[in-house]
Amino acid sequence: MSVVEIENVTKTFGEVRAVDSLFLQVPGGSIYGFIGPNGSGKTTTLRMIMNIFYPDAGTIRVFGQELQGASSARIGYLPEERGLYKKMKVRDLLRFYGELKSGRRVNREVDDWLERLDLGAWANKKIETLSKGMAQKVQFIATVVSEPELIILDEPFTGLDPLNLEVLKNAVLDLRGRGASVIFSTHDMNVAENMCDFIFMIFKGRKVLDGTLASIQDRYGSDTLRLRAEGGIASLKNLAGVEAIADFGRLQELRLRPESDPQKILAEIMSRTRLDSFERTKPTLYDIFLRIAGRDSGEAPDA
Amino acid sequence: MRKILRLAKREYLESVKTKGFILMLILMPLVMGGSGIAMLLFKDQVDTADKRVAVLDHSRGMMNILERAVEERNRAAVYDPKTGKKVQPAYVLEFIEPDERDPQGQRLALSDRVRRGDLKAFLEIGSAVLHPRGDPSANRIAYHAENAAVDNIRFWLNNTINNDLRKLRLTEAGLDPARADEILAWLQVEPLGLLSADKATGEVREARKSSEAEAVLVPLVLFFLMFMMVMMGSIPLLSSTQEEKTQRIAEVLLGCLKPHEFMAGKVLGGLAVSLTGAMVYVTGGIILLNVAGLAAFVPLHVIPWFFAYLVLEIVMIGTYLAALGSACNDPKDAQNMMFPALIPVFLPIFLAMPTLQEPTSAFATGLSLFPLFTPLLMLLRKASPVGIPAWQPWVGLTGVLLATVFSVWAGGRIFRVAILMQGGPPKLSKILRWAIRG
Repeated sequence: MSVVEIENVTKTFGEVRAVDSLFLQVPGGSIYGFIGPNGSGKTTTLRMIMNIFYPDAGTIRVFGQELQGASSARIGYLPEERGLYKKMKVRDLLRFYGELKSGRRVNREVDDWLERLDLGAWANKKIETLSKGMAQKVQFIATVVSEPELIILDEPFTGLDPLNLEVLKNAVLDLRGRGASVIFSTHDMNVAENMCDFIFMIFKGRKVLDGTLASIQDRYGSDTLRLRAEGGIASLKNLAGVEAIADFGRLQELRLRPESDPQKILAEIMSRTRLDSFERTKPTLYDIFLRIAGRDSGEAPDA
Repeated sequence: MRKILRLAKREYLESVKTKGFILMLILMPLVMGGSGIAMLLFKDQVDTADKRVAVLDHSRGMMNILERAVEERNRAAVYDPKTGKKVQPAYVLEFIEPDERDPQGQRLALSDRVRRGDLKAFLEIGSAVLHPRGDPSANRIAYHAENAAVDNIRFWLNNTINNDLRKLRLTEAGLDPARADEILAWLQVEPLGLLSADKATGEVREARKSSEAEAVLVPLVLFFLMFMMVMMGSIPLLSSTQEEKTQRIAEVLLGCLKPHEFMAGKVLGGLAVSLTGAMVYVTGGIILLNVAGLAAFVPLHVIPWFFAYLVLEIVMIGTYLAALGSACNDPKDAQNMMFPALIPVFLPIFLAMPTLQEPTSAFATGLSLFPLFTPLLMLLRKASPVGIPAWQPWVGLTGVLLATVFSVWAGGRIFRVAILMQGGPPKLSKILRWAIRG
């Protein structure tokens, strides 16, 4: 059963069509990743699911019903920019948000989450004394402390150090494990690839990708040569049959033209330099993202 | 409703738990009644140094009179008869022969002496003050000092000279000087209220003496108390809403509450803050007046109206201030918005005295029935000893209720759109469009 159903939804701000004729279905119990360049319509879509923004056309159903206002206690929402009362103490703030969301006392849940995310020692400190990563974790707890069935996270991992990133990723996976559905937007393609059951890409308000990572990659076929060339990028220039090269320093990815022969290309490369490793593979999400967004890098204004 | 109350509770506690709130509760009456309290506290702090005044008497008849009057005044007022302590300055008169050839030169010389501190002032009595007619300059009594307009010596001289001149005139007219005091006796017209009859016994109750405190002070205290409570409860809504929007807290809250619940929680919190302040002052005021034996001045019949109007005023003003705050993107926007937003609260201050002087005039009645002014002006009229028709406060209340409903409706529509809208400073046309279209 789908927890979110978006049907032919359009949202316009002035002259800008932020979301254009969007259809999307989010299955229950899944993690759904929203990707897309800045200003492509991710946040607007999330806000419309929350019913903070109302669509100009189309319908959005959450748990099978059209929402009246954004107040459903079954949905937790973490906005893109953190919104915390700086003068409040961490525990008081979390209790306030939790009670506001669920309409019940959440003292025990708050303390559990604070311990779990290693913030117990900061419970009685004011928000303004926290580091950015800590504040982000507090905001995350505020989103999930009321135990919502659907969790919507707008760029939850931005600006986190690897340690905190792992902590939050594990928390999200754990919530999914307990039956919650999670939608999050991200610019981190590795996170999207590794965590998401489904990936949705929106570009200039239009859906350009939607499905599992495998199904998305299948659309592009095995058109990528991933290799480690001793001569680096300099030894790979002007290769016939190669459409584009992505250089990651010690690793290079070559996107092949549809009609090209990988064997011939490999032979040409080996005539120029030694190869430490090579594989023919499907494109990464990062590469797919660049292929779509790179066609026209002009960014739409943020909604 | 539970969520609204939870948000209101936070708003309330965040305000009243601060030292600033307690300080404001203490300081507000001091600021409001500051000048009166200061006058009471410092009334004995007078400069007791002798005050020397030069007198140019062109009439040639005032010297003895003034010398006698000053002597009497100094004997009676300068020293406290119980303690012997000097409590007032002595007046010292220095009679100078007027220079008829160069009067301006003489005045300039005396002015210089005043500037040097040698004299407090100089007095010039015209030649025809006893029988004033004809040349106005001859009838004049001129008092020259550095701050002549507010000078106690001038006030004293004014009374003394005129009393004595009138006595002289009466004596000249052939009347016995002993009767002059009786002829000149001044009787006050006493302000009294109306008589009433006891409903049970039919006994006629004496009219109560009407005092300025009852006629002016009690209505004005209630008026300014409501004004301050409105300021305390509603002004912060504009800035706090703007802050919540700027700091993106609004978006988190909108994930928990519907926009109208969000706004209602904030306004309710502001209302609770005002009611707390009002309860403290009203209860404290009643206790103080009772302790001071002034229980008769407690306008118990007005207090329910005070709270009814206060609640509606804060909801009405608070709602549109929160709506305007939601349209602001930074503190500067909120500052610019503050003054025009508060015009409906400030205007009644300028209308208070004319309303109080003639509470039943068409002017006062009309203005007090205009919903934006009703809470403050109708309260003022209701608290005045002059009775106003019983239907008027009710009609006013109905008007305010309708205006409040409209304010909540329009404010809610503005708030819903504006709270997440980023961009340039708020424009009136845009705000009106949000209110109309939602």
